[in-house]
Amino acid sequence: MSRSAPVRSIEFHPFNLSALRVVLDRADPAGLADELHKMLGGRPDRFSGEAAILDFSALETLPARIDWNGLTSLLRRYCLQPVGVYAVDEEHAAAARNKASLALFEHLDATPVSAPAPRASATTVSPFSLAAPDSASPPQADLPFEPSAAAPLVAGASVAPTLYIDRPVRSGQQVYAHGGDLVLLAGVSPGAEVIADGNIHCFGPLLGRALAGARGNAQARVISTHFSPELVSIAGVYRTFEQGVPEAFAARAVVVRMKSANGSGQTISIDPLQLD
Amino acid sequence: MRVIVVTSGKGGVGKTTTSAAFASGLAMRGFKTAVIDFDVGLRNLDLIMGCERRVVYDIINVINDEAKLTQALIKDKHCESENLYVLPASQTRDKNALTESGVEFVLSELEHMGFDYAVCDSPAGIEHGAVMALTFADEAIITTNPEVSSVRDSDRILGILQSKSRRALNGSEPVKEHLLLTRYSPKRVEEGEMITYKDVQELLRIPLLGVIPESESVLQASNQGIPTIHLKGSDVAEAYTDMVARFLGEKLPLRFVTYEKPGFIKRLLGGK
Repeated sequence: MSRSAPVRSIEFHPFNLSALRVVLDRADPAGLADELHKMLGGRPDRFSGEAAILDFSALETLPARIDWNGLTSLLRRYCLQPVGVYAVDEEHAAAARNKASLALFEHLDATPVSAPAPRASATTVSPFSLAAPDSASPPQADLPFEPSAAAPLVAGASVAPTLYIDRPVRSGQQVYAHGGDLVLLAGVSPGAEVIADGNIHCFGPLLGRALAGARGNAQARVISTHFSPELVSIAGVYRTFEQGVPEAFAARAVVVRMKSANGSGQTISIDPLQLD
Repeated sequence: MRVIVVTSGKGGVGKTTTSAAFASGLAMRGFKTAVIDFDVGLRNLDLIMGCERRVVYDIINVINDEAKLTQALIKDKHCESENLYVLPASQTRDKNALTESGVEFVLSELEHMGFDYAVCDSPAGIEHGAVMALTFADEAIITTNPEVSSVRDSDRILGILQSKSRRALNGSEPVKEHLLLTRYSPKRVEEGEMITYKDVQELLRIPLLGVIPESESVLQASNQGIPTIHLKGSDVAEAYTDMVARFLGEKLPLRFVTYEKPGFIKRLLGGK
């Protein structure tokens, strides 16, 4: 019996990380601890072990020394798992790597920092803001990688499972697609609520409430073939239809997305889709 | 045995009238049928079935082992076939006396007694009694009036059916859902005061089992304790007869859904 391919005991695959970007505008753990306590009311269960990247881009000048151990243990106390830093110079990056095992991230293909995370949006003046979970490219490492090796998908943490709902979502029901997209194949009734951390795709009438990007992903969209909802929301920015859904897209196919308006404000735009 | 729940969420839409007529219709087709009142504390089915003076024991007595099921079942006198039985609710007990294991026991006893169908008349609302009525259902008749609040409540109860019924919890084949529109007035639909049956069906997205016209004869029949399906020649009786036939798999066109303006002579004579 011949073995087709040698089995390696260790393999390397490129992988995009989905992480929470923790935007700081001060670097002392004591001050940040007070701020976090105020923001989260001492609730340590606000997070559930998400990977976090410390983003120092909001600081004009970095202090000469940063207490890396203090910062990481503070975040761990709130159930965040620090994995990297962003926007620090080489000296600081080396210290972060040596003292707290944090990797340096050179690019974050990120949403603007002004994107308010849901529920944290009221604290924009705080030195601490939690930006959306982002796709961050890890530093390019020149590791030998053989694409021909039939690579099994590494447990797709970045590819969150899509939730499919085959039956109508009825009034009073709530469906939440944690971490991923939500595909609704039989419509959403008035008084029902559909939520996704990713996008919402609705085939059939969308008559209830639809909230995409529930954990702050401003890139998320709501796509509907028959649009007449009570409310739509992208990353915490919502729109209701007290005067009825405008005729231009009522009961039509539309896409709803976040649009950055002039200045700091963000609005939702609704555009008709041409299906045929 | 098939367990069928007649439910709506909203009150006053015609659940009990439908339960009585539908169960009677099944019995007239030769099926051994029991119709069970789940409205503990506000029982009405015995009145509609005209057997209120013969109630000795009720479903709670059976559940608490104070009476045998055969003692509590009341044989209906309107059906000549003698295979329709009424199981009344208690008027005095607390509604929590209706336990899930108790309901399961009653239904399994009925099955042992050779019943073909158990029709469960649900109370209004989405509380305990309504949930007990739909827990063991194989099929559901969603009774709806052509107006928005009733449609919304029906939608709500469909959601509960999908989440709380035994079939849903077991992950077996889901409860078969049927839409029944009651108190339908083609004239008021034409005038735009009521929603058309097509719109209701579009909103709820379940198969339509029938449309029962609004009629004064329903009130008269209720007051006399006669299930409406026995009102020979009336629109309501025919609509319920059609609905039973469709339930049993026959294909029949919808009737009583279009409004015909009364002719000149009829108007002179004061017809409606």
